[in-house]
Amino acid sequence: MISTEQKVLRRNNVKVFGRGTQPMVFAHGFGCDQHMWRFITPAFENAYRIVLFDYVGSGGSDLGAYDAGRYGSLNGYADDLLEVCHALDLRDTILVAHSVSAMVAVLAARREPERFARLVLIGPSPRYINDVPDYVGGFERTDIDELLATMERNYIGWAKYLAPQIMKNSERPELAEELTESFCSTDPEIASRFARATFLADNRADLRDVSVPSLILQCSEDLIAPNAVGEYVHRNMPRSTLRLMKATGHCPHMSHPDETIRLIEDYLHDDAGAR
Amino acid sequence: MTTPAPADLERGSGASWMELWDRAPCGLVVLNEDGTIVAANSTLTDMLDIAGADLPGRSVEAMLTIPARIFYQTHFFPLVKLHGHAEEIFLTLRTRSGSGVPVLANAVWRDRDGGGQIHCAFMRIREREKYEEELLRTKKAAELASASKSRFLSMMSHDLRTPLGAISGYADLLALGVRGEVTEEQQADLARIKRASKSLLGMLDDLLTVAREQSAQLPMRLEVLSVRTELIEAESIVTPRFIEAGVGYRRDESAPDLTVRADRDRLQRILLNLLTNAVKFTPRGGRVSVGCSAVADRVLIHVTDTGRGIPAEMLGRIFQPFVQVDADDATNQKGMGLGLAIGRELARAMGGDLAVESAVGRGSIFTISLPAAAAP
Repeated sequence: MISTEQKVLRRNNVKVFGRGTQPMVFAHGFGCDQHMWRFITPAFENAYRIVLFDYVGSGGSDLGAYDAGRYGSLNGYADDLLEVCHALDLRDTILVAHSVSAMVAVLAARREPERFARLVLIGPSPRYINDVPDYVGGFERTDIDELLATMERNYIGWAKYLAPQIMKNSERPELAEELTESFCSTDPEIASRFARATFLADNRADLRDVSVPSLILQCSEDLIAPNAVGEYVHRNMPRSTLRLMKATGHCPHMSHPDETIRLIEDYLHDDAGAR
Repeated sequence: MTTPAPADLERGSGASWMELWDRAPCGLVVLNEDGTIVAANSTLTDMLDIAGADLPGRSVEAMLTIPARIFYQTHFFPLVKLHGHAEEIFLTLRTRSGSGVPVLANAVWRDRDGGGQIHCAFMRIREREKYEEELLRTKKAAELASASKSRFLSMMSHDLRTPLGAISGYADLLALGVRGEVTEEQQADLARIKRASKSLLGMLDDLLTVAREQSAQLPMRLEVLSVRTELIEAESIVTPRFIEAGVGYRRDESAPDLTVRADRDRLQRILLNLLTNAVKFTPRGGRVSVGCSAVADRVLIHVTDTGRGIPAEMLGRIFQPFVQVDADDATNQKGMGLGLAIGRELARAMGGDLAVESAVGRGSIFTISLPAAAAP
C-alpha cells in the first residue's frame, strides 16, 4: 500500500539530499525542470536539506497525474508545491523560485505562511501583459499568442505530438524519458496550458498578502521580467528586499550561478534585514 | 570583413576559412553565456538587414521577435546549457525594420575559460514553413472533425436505443398476449420484430464502442486470463449460429492452455466479433477452427475459416470503420463493417494487435496477438 505522501513524492519526482536540517526547496520555471538548479544546489548542500521537484507535466513528473482543470491556473501549481511540503512535513522552509514559480511561491506563502521562513524570488513578475496606463509588464496579448504559436511549431517535430500514444505507454517509460531528455519540457498540450497559466496570469493583488520575508533577485536587462516589474513587486510585497544583479537575461541561476549563490547566501545570513 | 571571427576559425587561418565563416549558406552567431553577441557572419546580418558592426556587444534578444525572446529564455538557452546542444528549434528573427524572418536554429555549447559560448546556426525557412503551417492546421482540423464525429456517433447510438427498447418491449408485451390473443402468424411476426431489433441493438452497441474508443478511453482492467476459458465462454454464445448456418466449428484441444494479460470484456468482444464474422462469411458445409500458440512474449489466437477469402486489395482496408468487403452488394445484410475496426482498436489498447492473412477462394486466418502472462 502506497501512502498519499509517497504518491506525491513520486508524482512530482521529488529528490531530497544535503547534510543540513533546514529545508531549502527549489521550484523550477516554465519550460524547464529541476535540472536547471544543478549549478546552484552544490553551494547549499552542506548547510541545508535540499528538496527538488518537478511540477506535474514537467520533467520526470507523472504525466498520468496531469489534470487540465487543476493546472489551468497557477493555483494548481501552488497545490503541487504545498503538497510536496506536506508530504515531507517541511517547516521553516527557504523557498527558491524562478520566474513563474515566484508567483506560485507567492500563492503558496499566502495560503500557508507558517511553512516558510524565507522566499527567494528570481525574476518574478506578477503580470506579464501590460495594463495601461499604470502597469508595464513588458508584453502585449498578441506577443503571448505568437509565443504559443512558436511553441506549437517547436513541438510539431516531436514524435509524441504525432503519436501521443507513445507517452501513455507506461510499459515503455524509457520512451518518455528519451523525449524529455531531448527537450526541456514535456507534452505540447501541457506546455501550452502552462504557458497560458503563466503569461496570462495577474497576481498583482496577491503580493500584499505575503507575510513571509522575501528576496527579489532582479537581473539587468531581463526582457521577460524588466526592472520596473521587479521594483513593482518590491513596492507591493511587504518585507521584501530587492537586489539588482549584474547578471543579464532571465536565468541567472544558470548563466551566473556564482553571483546568484552569493546574493542568496548574503540574504540568508543577514537576519536583521529580513526579520 | 566587418565581423570579427571566433578564434578557433582564425586558427585554421587563411582567407578561405574566413570566407566560409562569413558567407556560409546559413546565419552564424557566437554568443556569450549571458546572451551577448560575440560575432555574427554576413549571411546573418544580411538576413537581418543590419550592418555587420552593429551586432557584436548587443544581446541576442535584439535580433529576435518578442515571442522568440521568451522562447529563447525559457526553452532555448536552458536546453543548450543543460544538454549541450539544441536542434531544429523554430524561431523568428527580427529584421532592422521589425519584420519577422522564420528560421530553424541549431546550437551547441562550447566551454570557454570563465564560462561558455553558444554557437548557433540559423537556416532560413520560406517554403517549408508554409507546408508545416498547413500540415499543423489540417491535423488540428482533422482531430477536431474526428472528435465531433465520435461525439455524434455516441449521441446518435445512444438516442436510438431508447425507441428501440420500446419496440422490443411492446413486441414482448404483445407476444405474451397482454393485449389480447395472438395468432401463430402474428407470433412469428413478433419474433421477427424481436430478432430485427436485437440485431439493430447489436449494431448500435458496436457504434457506441467505436465512438467511445475514439473519444474517451474506457478504463481497462488487465488481468491474467486463460485463453481456453475465454474461448469456451465465447463459444457458448456463438454455437447456435454455427448450427443454424451449417458451419462446422472446432477448437484445437492439443495445445497447452496459455494465459494472456488482457481485459476480459474486450477480449470477449474481439472473439465474438471474429467468430460471428467467420460464420457469416463461410458458406454452408464450411469449417471454422480456432487454435492458439505462443511466440516469444506473445500469445497468438488464430481463427481460421474456409470462407471465400478477402481480395488482396481489400486486406489493408478491412480494419477501417464502415469498410466491408462486399459493400456494393445491395443484398448484404451482414452489418456495418465495424467489427474488425473495433477488434483491432481493442486489441491494440491492450498492447496487442489483430491481423489477417487471406486468399480468395481459400479462406482467411485472423490472428489476435496479446501479451503473454504467467499462469495465475
